[in-house]
Amino acid sequence: MDFTFESHQIAFRDAIRKFLMVEAAPEMLREIWETTSGRSADLRARLADQGLTALSVPEDFGGIGLGDLDWVLVLQELGYYAIPESLVDTAYLAAGLLSELSGDIEIKREWLPRIASGEARVAIGHPSNPFVADAGTANLLLMWHNDAVHAVRPDAVKLTAQPSIDNSRRLSQVEWKPEASTRIADARIGAPLWQRLLLRGGLATAAQQVGLAQRMLDLGVDYAAQRKQFGKIIGTFQGVKHPLADVAVAIEFAEPVVHRAAYCIGRGHARAGHAVAQARMQASEAAHKAARASIQAHGAMGYTWEADLQMFMKRAWVLDAGWGDLAHHKARIAEDIFDDQAALGPSNTFSTHYGEAPAPRVSAVSR
Amino acid sequence: MGAPETALAQNPVDQIRRAIAQWMAEHLTGEFAALRHRGGPGDEGADPALRKRWEREMAAGGWTCVGWPEAYGGRGLSIDAQVAFHEEYARAGGPGRMGHIGEGLIGPTLIRYGSDAQKARFLPGIVEGRTFWAQGYSEPNAGSDLANVQTRCWQCDDGSWRLSGQKIWTSLAHESDWIFVLARSEPGSKGRHGLSFLLLPLDQPGVTIRPIRQISGEAEFNEVFFDEAVAEADGLVGEPGKGWEVAMGLLEIERGVSTLGQQMHFAHELGLVVEVARRNGADRDPAFRARLARAWGGLRVMRYNALRMLSGGDDLKLGREALIYKYHWSNWHRDLGKLAMDALGPEADTPSEDPAVRRLQQVFFFSRADTIYAGSNEIQLNLIAERGLGLPREPRG
Repeated sequence: MDFTFESHQIAFRDAIRKFLMVEAAPEMLREIWETTSGRSADLRARLADQGLTALSVPEDFGGIGLGDLDWVLVLQELGYYAIPESLVDTAYLAAGLLSELSGDIEIKREWLPRIASGEARVAIGHPSNPFVADAGTANLLLMWHNDAVHAVRPDAVKLTAQPSIDNSRRLSQVEWKPEASTRIADARIGAPLWQRLLLRGGLATAAQQVGLAQRMLDLGVDYAAQRKQFGKIIGTFQGVKHPLADVAVAIEFAEPVVHRAAYCIGRGHARAGHAVAQARMQASEAAHKAARASIQAHGAMGYTWEADLQMFMKRAWVLDAGWGDLAHHKARIAEDIFDDQAALGPSNTFSTHYGEAPAPRVSAVSR
Repeated sequence: MGAPETALAQNPVDQIRRAIAQWMAEHLTGEFAALRHRGGPGDEGADPALRKRWEREMAAGGWTCVGWPEAYGGRGLSIDAQVAFHEEYARAGGPGRMGHIGEGLIGPTLIRYGSDAQKARFLPGIVEGRTFWAQGYSEPNAGSDLANVQTRCWQCDDGSWRLSGQKIWTSLAHESDWIFVLARSEPGSKGRHGLSFLLLPLDQPGVTIRPIRQISGEAEFNEVFFDEAVAEADGLVGEPGKGWEVAMGLLEIERGVSTLGQQMHFAHELGLVVEVARRNGADRDPAFRARLARAWGGLRVMRYNALRMLSGGDDLKLGREALIYKYHWSNWHRDLGKLAMDALGPEADTPSEDPAVRRLQQVFFFSRADTIYAGSNEIQLNLIAERGLGLPREPRG
């Protein structure tokens, strides 16, 4: 695999970064936190203007038809700015699942164009998450039921709001009843679709954590570069600067692993699950290390509600538990290593074809 | 390494152990039952009014200030007996002490540095659980660099003092009656020279208290603003300009005896982590089990080290074992917070009504600050390197 992104992918990432820098200042995010819905129609419209809601939607349905490698850089930016939005669930995960349903069917014709235009929000209910995010503002809910996929309208669900330690999230417990009329894919078709969705959920988590780690590092560096004690800028002390340097190293170790996971998902690789598991572990480590080093560099200020650091720490912490927690991902890698058929050793590990063979099951649902 | 088991049954330490355990069983009941395992860092918002009543209940039973000399209203307990007292108090789920700054910090400081008049005036209120104290040391630009205190004080013709400036991170100031403050009494002085140690009431026109909201949403500490606030002539502890000596004596006390009960709370929290891990299956994960085992080991180390540190008797000078104590417990506790969250899994992310889960969430949040307050990790390592190892001091500006 070549780790170089194409110039248009970098250009798109840069454009999104500039946009979010202006439109998603921490003060604005705090204002959105205080609202009941926790979401801003205005911000959503602007994100749509940037093309973000159309990224994964095929061109036939009014979208741009791009893939996981295009998303991964954007996801890092969404993490960096801790965007309080259902954008990822709607435009990456739900759009991805709906697009991978075969044929020109009603559900796709109805929802994909509305997702692309930014008009529709879609929430996702899967057992790997105990609560459903953004169910309260969703126009449609995609619900897991014994591997079948159900598309449920908001008027057919009962929601109980569940506060989160991260004020930017809006979680609900969802009560609903699976009906033949709500089922859009049976278990045989649904199982691989959910598998793909889980991989993307894991990738989205890891990529956002890498972005968050970078943001926390930047905040820590900024603070250490202006705070004075003992008559000196505290960043001059090795005790303060070295832990921050360690975070930079952790981020550099995580980023290519996350990019590799995106590549594997996009290519439908048999080992995409392991790539995602490793990405989750590395990204989580970077994010936790960043939170720890940054709060330490901030001193007591870092422990206050007032300092922006908390917004990014909390997002990084809560991301850890979704779409399969870390124990799940570690176990997944351990199982692989101890498998009798495990392809270990130098001839496999350093082969240019490592994990390249597409699995039949996954290729069956590729576009 | 201690007396044989058979001798222990009759000794005074064991008598204290049984007496406090029995007293707790009889008194931490009724309205006070709701306070079991409540309060303390991270949970100071738990019914402060009731916890103040609990202080008076403790006082009525003769269980406040047990380490103080009898002449000042204490029980004059030996270090061993104090260990037993703190252990049994925590084992019974005794609530975080609202009076700990008075009992553990300013009281012993006044016993050591105060005048007879100050002792007579202030110690009884602490012993009786009536007067609550706050500590005014840190300032916006005097955190790790505590000697950079800029709050000014000056003496008026009638002998009384005036104070102007700002303190920050003042724990429980909003629940306290009095504050002790380190302030600059010699204009133009720098560092540890020219500081004075003053006592003043918080309820007066020159004092404004503003709570600081923490990442947990709670507000346990405050900014305290002084605008020509008044301290009486008798409010000065020690000599004018020699406040640093008093403050340092107090910090030695802070890192010594007053941390004893903490380990039992840690043991309780570790127990909660085990309970949660059993409930949701994290206990079957070998990696988690290994971390749990390390946590248990770290707690034992803490206990043995504290006992060793205190077996030096009444000499409160900071030995090497005392120097490592804060660094050890704070890093251990921060890791325990993470371990607790990993045991909880997704349950960690949503506020819970389950007391065990809620407690662990508080532990996680508050333990983010453990390596920062009361001397940050960086300061602790400098102390260990410079005082413990005799390495040259870091160049300072």
